[in-house]
Amino acid sequence: MTVQVVDETLFHSLDPVLLRGSACASCGAHVFPAMGSCPMCTGTDVADVALPAEGRVWSWTTQHFEPKPPFRTDSFAPFSIGYVDLGPVIVEGWLVGRTQWTIGEPVRLVLAHAWTEGDASIHTFAFESAGAAR
Amino acid sequence: MSARDDDVYIVGAARTAFGRYDGEDNELAEQAVRAALDDAGIIWSDVQFAVGGTNGETKPDNLVSRLGLTGLPFVTVKNGCATGGVALMTARNGLIADAADIACVVGYDNHARGAFNASPTRYGIGDWFGQTGMMVTTSYFALKIQRYLHDHGIDPRTLGYASEKAFAYASHHPYAWRRTPVSVDEAMDADMINDPLTRFMFCSPDAGAVSLVLARGRRAFDMCDRPVRLASVALRGRRPGSFEVFSTWLSPGERTSPSIDAARAAFAAAGITPADVQVAQLQDTESGAEIIHLAETGLVEHGAQTAAYENGDFSITGRLPVNTDGGLLANGEPVGASGLRQVHEVVRQLQGRADGQQVPGAPSIGFTHVYGAPGISACTVLMAEGE
Repeated sequence: MTVQVVDETLFHSLDPVLLRGSACASCGAHVFPAMGSCPMCTGTDVADVALPAEGRVWSWTTQHFEPKPPFRTDSFAPFSIGYVDLGPVIVEGWLVGRTQWTIGEPVRLVLAHAWTEGDASIHTFAFESAGAAR
Repeated sequence: MSARDDDVYIVGAARTAFGRYDGEDNELAEQAVRAALDDAGIIWSDVQFAVGGTNGETKPDNLVSRLGLTGLPFVTVKNGCATGGVALMTARNGLIADAADIACVVGYDNHARGAFNASPTRYGIGDWFGQTGMMVTTSYFALKIQRYLHDHGIDPRTLGYASEKAFAYASHHPYAWRRTPVSVDEAMDADMINDPLTRFMFCSPDAGAVSLVLARGRRAFDMCDRPVRLASVALRGRRPGSFEVFSTWLSPGERTSPSIDAARAAFAAAGITPADVQVAQLQDTESGAEIIHLAETGLVEHGAQTAAYENGDFSITGRLPVNTDGGLLANGEPVGASGLRQVHEVVRQLQGRADGQQVPGAPSIGFTHVYGAPGISACTVLMAEGE
């Protein structure tokens, strides 16, 4: 089975896995996914950057009901999502490995299987535990 | 009391029961408009300016085919959960700008069951966001209140207090949808939807319509024994640092909110402070939203919510009765109608003719607050005034 990602434009690289954001030359704001202008200061001098791969859980929840389409899954089970503070920006993504989390605990970026499409395993970015909470 | 020409008053108010509705959207809207016209003692041909709001697919301005082809200007607004507030503001501005005397506002919706299913493309987000299950409104609310409880050291049981209060009010209100009381324990122990929010902590999309009749200047006192002055209405959008639905990223640092900005603007324009408010309506899409909005509007300090609920501050005999018709939690959310439902409830409280429990002591200053995607808020200050 080949591995594909949900959207290649989300990634700076796949090995190692790094998210592609953009940084504003005028105000320093980072956003994700990358954009062509800065929503914080309205500047247009922005450049793509690789975002940090480690951060801390900023908030979390567990999705207990199956979302309506276009949600894709092989078989639904409750899953966690969260906002992860990467330093220059807080990014929303899956939290994988369990369904209860603590704000402030360290996590790291990984790729996780999202759904199967023919012979391909479609992966998305996610964060897994990187140790105990502070 | 001498009314100035650019003072705008609410002189008629009516709503339908909220809940499931099998008929046409426009039929529902028509019921509310006709009832509001009756309440104001006028007929459709007296109306000089109209504004209609819905988040659905029908055209509010085509209500004229049911109400009468009088040639009046009829503006349609569609601003998500803030639609009602924007409709009201548009009508007020229309009266002032056009020097018209009488306007009619209507808001309605008739939603399908279940959580809203937003399209990533409509929000300018890639398909991946929906495909991976993050384009879900309930998870947004959960993520926001989870962080808020953490930041302000608030006991999650406070979420149960908000639910209990909403359904207690609704049990007395003839037009609310969910009128069965729910205890704090029942709310806390119910099925988890999105941690920390359970089934009894979310409102559901449903059907309903609300209509208001506005009059400008002295004309209001000719039409109504107890007109309620729209002392201010303010609409604000998000600034950097706000935490809005369907955000793929957030900025670190200070959190802002369009609710903070809209509430401040509304209080300033009305010349009052939050401490002056005697009855309030806040956007309680879920229990956490009420807790957050109590503080963002300035009515309660951040972190003081738990003690205030425990003290009964927001109940009918408390310091500041909040969401006295059961709010969104008990009325559901027909998006286009919801903001006008808030105004309807406060108007009737200020007139001493509440449909449900009446706030004692003849309150004269009310406040309403709507908040919605993609980061907008509209607030009003309403004042009871005798001739």
